[in-house]
Amino acid sequence: MRVAKLFRKTMFGIFVLFGVIALSTSALCVYTVDRQLSSEYEANSRAIAQTIANSSTDIILNRDLSTLQSLIDQFKEIQGIKYVYIVNEEGDILAHTFVPGVPKAILAGDRVKLATVDRRLPGFGEFIEVSSPILDGIAGSVHVGMDKGLIALKIQTAIGQQVYLISIIFIVSIVGSFFLVNLAAKPLGRLGGYATQLAAPAAPASITPEDVQALLERNDEVGQLARLFRHLAARDTSWAPR
Amino acid sequence: MRIALLGLALALALSSVPAAREGPAAEGVTANQIVVGMSAPFTGASRSLGIELYRGSMAYFSEINRAGGVHGRRIALKAYDDGYQPDQAIKNTLKLMLEDKVFLLFDYVGTPTVTRVLPLLKKYDALHFRLFFPFTGAQPQREPPYDRLAVNLRASYQQETAGLVDNFLKIGRSRIAVFYQADAYGRSGWVGVREALAAHNLKIVAEATYTRGTKYTESLDRQVAIVEEAHPDAVISVGAYAACAAFIRDARKAGLTVPIANVSFVGSESMLELLTAASKADGHDYTVNLVNSQVVPSYENPGVPAVKEYLALMDKYHPLPPAGLAGADYKPLPHSFVSLEGFLNAKLLVEVLNRMGPDPARAKIEPTVSGIDAFELGMGPPISFAGQRNQGSDAIYYTTVEHGRFVPIRDWKAWSK
Repeated sequence: MRVAKLFRKTMFGIFVLFGVIALSTSALCVYTVDRQLSSEYEANSRAIAQTIANSSTDIILNRDLSTLQSLIDQFKEIQGIKYVYIVNEEGDILAHTFVPGVPKAILAGDRVKLATVDRRLPGFGEFIEVSSPILDGIAGSVHVGMDKGLIALKIQTAIGQQVYLISIIFIVSIVGSFFLVNLAAKPLGRLGGYATQLAAPAAPASITPEDVQALLERNDEVGQLARLFRHLAARDTSWAPR
Repeated sequence: MRIALLGLALALALSSVPAAREGPAAEGVTANQIVVGMSAPFTGASRSLGIELYRGSMAYFSEINRAGGVHGRRIALKAYDDGYQPDQAIKNTLKLMLEDKVFLLFDYVGTPTVTRVLPLLKKYDALHFRLFFPFTGAQPQREPPYDRLAVNLRASYQQETAGLVDNFLKIGRSRIAVFYQADAYGRSGWVGVREALAAHNLKIVAEATYTRGTKYTESLDRQVAIVEEAHPDAVISVGAYAACAAFIRDARKAGLTVPIANVSFVGSESMLELLTAASKADGHDYTVNLVNSQVVPSYENPGVPAVKEYLALMDKYHPLPPAGLAGADYKPLPHSFVSLEGFLNAKLLVEVLNRMGPDPARAKIEPTVSGIDAFELGMGPPISFAGQRNQGSDAIYYTTVEHGRFVPIRDWKAWSK
């Protein structure tokens, strides 16, 4: 009973502590991973857009759009890149990687404008879109969409791994604390039994003479207390065994 | 003794004449064989194209080999499967060029594959490799910087799509939508439609795409919805047979009854086979209002000399799919536009090899090809590569489905708006 009470309190303490650790580290993880990945993806997208813009100048000027399509198809295989489209100086789309078609939001938008934008495309997902001009914009521009869903997935994975690790540590702590609490509570229980025996010698003994002997021989605080109880009982005749 | 040694030396010298004749420039050519290399899809959603092209070529090569070959050398066609995937096509090409050391490349299938292989030919330009008669009408191998590296027989997609647009406009169908494969092939056809419409101050009214390798069993309802929303007068499809058949099926189911046209690459018979089976299963005729442009004449017309020869040799040899590459479940088509094209490719290649004489060399390819002028291949209009042309034929034939077969279109007015 005493062990269970002590253990419940200990477990509650551990649970609160681990809850605080899990929440705070997860929040920090979300913030850090999101910030770092977003900035890394944006930088990668910009580099890819610039690469395509630089290498597509001749192709566009030669009006060979199937080669241009081959070029952007290769970049689409890079992890995180969800779409690429190239527009001419008038905003007409010359090549793209959308299936089953160019989203209405892009068809309706200003495709000549060069800016980094967050896009939510129904049926496709959420993206960071970066642009790069071709020949300083006079031959059009390249637009690359990086999947924000991938960032969310990576965050989820990182948090999942963290929670998994914390859960393992939590379980080990519970088992460990149970063992340690039990280790501390057992002699206390015997001490309690000895004290009861001293106080009410007529009552049925809850502790054997061997346990009493072992208790009195302990050289820790429990042993000291047991010896103190025996001493006090010896001085106070009302405590003395009859 | 001295006389015996002289005799032996003379005998050795004489026996080494053929080997010396080949020289270092004649890789892929031995005393009794010329090896040509092919990379094409023999597996996957477009396998019918590779297999039938191969079979058509083999029908002609078998006849030539049986008759003693070209200047005494048999023609061997070494084929690899690329599954219609560009990266695999590159690997196959490197193998053919550097390990197998074939004499030339032949019968490649597909725009996304060929456009990625062309830079390889440029890289190994010193070896004088040339790609003969790729099964694609795309522009890259017809225009600088790669026009010199490839020799085309068929008309281009731009010519095919321009012809389709012009014919639709003549019958009052000006709202044209495009359904195309999301890659270089689809883009090539899309450009053709776009430019043909631009010449009439018109624009594509809607466009929908699909991913290369899409299977017939997949739904293309989303693509149909995009096209249908624009209320087109006609749809031009630039794709492979499985996806195009799926699009036609879903479009007809959705009530889109306008003419749907396909370009030659589609693999007409394979597409028709799928649609006919679906029609029987669903009780709905999916084969109406179909228009397919072709770059070879109809194999239903034995009045064309090359077609007559093709029909005879296909029936004589019943060429098999390439051993070990195509699945055992593939049922070869008795006749098809694709195998006819393979046949014509082989026939023209044999003509080129013949003209090179008994000492073929890659360096001789270019002058030999450009010497072909007004050559009667037997398919109709004569073939010419003179005047720096790198495309032998400009002929386009339009067909439609009647009684379960593709037949030439006699009158477009049947689809007048």
